Amino acid sequence: MAEISEKDNEKKGKAAAPVIPHPGESTQQGKAGRPFWSGSITIGLVNVPVRLHTMVRDLSVSFRLLHKADGQPLRYDRVCTKDDRVIPWAETVKGYEVRKGEYVIFEPEELKAIMPESNRKIRIEKFVFYLSLDPVYFETSYILTPDRSEEAYSLFVTALQDLGRAAIGTITLRTKEYPVVVHAYGGGLILTTLRYADEVTLPQAFITSADLPAPKEAELALAKRIINDLSGDFSMNDYHDRYREAVMNLIEKKLAGEKVVYAEPHPEEAKELMQALKETLSTLSAK
Amino acid sequence: MAGDEGTGSKETLISDLTRVRFTNLDKIMYPPLHVTKKEVITYYIRVAPRLLPFLSDRPVTMHRFPDGMGEEDFYEKDAPQGTPEFVKIFSHYSGTADREVNFVVCNNLDTLIWLANLASLEIHITLSKTGAYESPDLLLFDIDPEPPLSFDDVIDVSFVVREHLEDTGILAYVKTSGKKGLHIVVPLRAGYRFGEVRDFAHRIGKNIAKDTSHVVSEFPRSRDPGTIFVDYLQNAQGKTMVAPYSLRGTPAATVSMPLQWDELKRGVRAEDFNIKTAISKKEEPWGGIFDNKQKIGK
Repeated sequence: MAEISEKDNEKKGKAAAPVIPHPGESTQQGKAGRPFWSGSITIGLVNVPVRLHTMVRDLSVSFRLLHKADGQPLRYDRVCTKDDRVIPWAETVKGYEVRKGEYVIFEPEELKAIMPESNRKIRIEKFVFYLSLDPVYFETSYILTPDRSEEAYSLFVTALQDLGRAAIGTITLRTKEYPVVVHAYGGGLILTTLRYADEVTLPQAFITSADLPAPKEAELALAKRIINDLSGDFSMNDYHDRYREAVMNLIEKKLAGEKVVYAEPHPEEAKELMQALKETLSTLSAK
Repeated sequence: MAGDEGTGSKETLISDLTRVRFTNLDKIMYPPLHVTKKEVITYYIRVAPRLLPFLSDRPVTMHRFPDGMGEEDFYEKDAPQGTPEFVKIFSHYSGTADREVNFVVCNNLDTLIWLANLASLEIHITLSKTGAYESPDLLLFDIDPEPPLSFDDVIDVSFVVREHLEDTGILAYVKTSGKKGLHIVVPLRAGYRFGEVRDFAHRIGKNIAKDTSHVVSEFPRSRDPGTIFVDYLQNAQGKTMVAPYSLRGTPAATVSMPLQWDELKRGVRAEDFNIKTAISKKEEPWGGIFDNKQKIGK
């Protein structure tokens, strides 16, 4: 679900380092993830129960910010811009900036009341030719797998495949409703969330093709020949994140011989936990 | 960099008091409340004397939130890789998984602490025990509202269910689910089959639905707006309910809280019972539940 939520920096700063595959044994394909949503595709009165799996994961290298002097990770705090005090969560409220420094305040209940309700449905409204869809609106893709009924799923995949169509509909994930497209791919179904039209800027905003000069015939012929010469098949496997591989190699080296940051919690940090443990152990042994 | 949980972090805490190695204690589990994994583990340790009797000899389903509430979560029935030796395993065929599953059985404090350290915020239990897996020792009514009906309406209906049970001399216990609804639980004498328990619960649901227009007892109608669904379908082998005193993966860090019937009044909210308040409660509303096994009618 991480791709969908607008991750706030607060959490990002605290998240543990992701499991990064060893560069030497990195597979070209991602692993099968666990489902994080289950519900059904509904087309009129017909239901196809499905689960949603993450399809895309970001493998970019992410570093944690440490205190140089003692190697300890830094924490992000919410600091009031007026008096520089750290503000506890309980004393925070959400505001929408309408003019510089002017905010409209929202109580959590107010926002909750207007949030779309998650109804565990992918509601299909129409079917279109998949190739007619404009990929500039595609946001994130997820894999749909059958949930209990493989028959309904298989029927839907085959029907879409045979007709070359994709289903257009909506899904509510967490607190946001997304337009989505569902299409058959690799023997299964893929759901792709779509950007709203006003979230995408089109080239027309910058360029009017009528204003561009018409190319000269000879130059165009040359350009086309070059393109033809370079035409061929393309495999995503030919591309690698070389920066990531270099960083992973460095990590290997550092792990092999050099300094590793080793954080040891101070006993007093877990004092309350240990106190609870002592008390519960004595309660349990008294029973 | 080995190990499942806490890869990339070597913040491990070891203590003589437990065989569990604590990892990532400062990880935020409930971002809205800033509750850390340390606090989650502390909660489970403190509530253990009340919770463990409900976990004993039952396969548990873990509902894990590795990156905290609000991030990706998943249910896990299988004992994960690296399960320590002190954790008891119950191998049984699971219909939903269509294979043999190695369930975790939480029979001791260390296992409970280990579950909490795995960020299994929620712990779900079966309605039967490993020794007689085909025979339920708990009957469950899962009562949930569909908007615009609310928790208050669920409270009203739960009292009707209780009346119907008491009319036939059956003692019922109630807890919040920690989310939208209430769970009514009846401890059962040995020897019942899931089928007959399910039929019995269904019959009560149907009787109530007959008299009360907004109560529904049939699954196809369970999501109708403005209804209260009295769900009997969880009374089946391998199905689970959230354990009493288990935390829930909700923004308010709610607890599935056992209550006295007279505490349950309109205006009570699931959020009243949470990681902070649940432990401070002195009485045990479900105390002695397993000494009160009930006989249910044919």
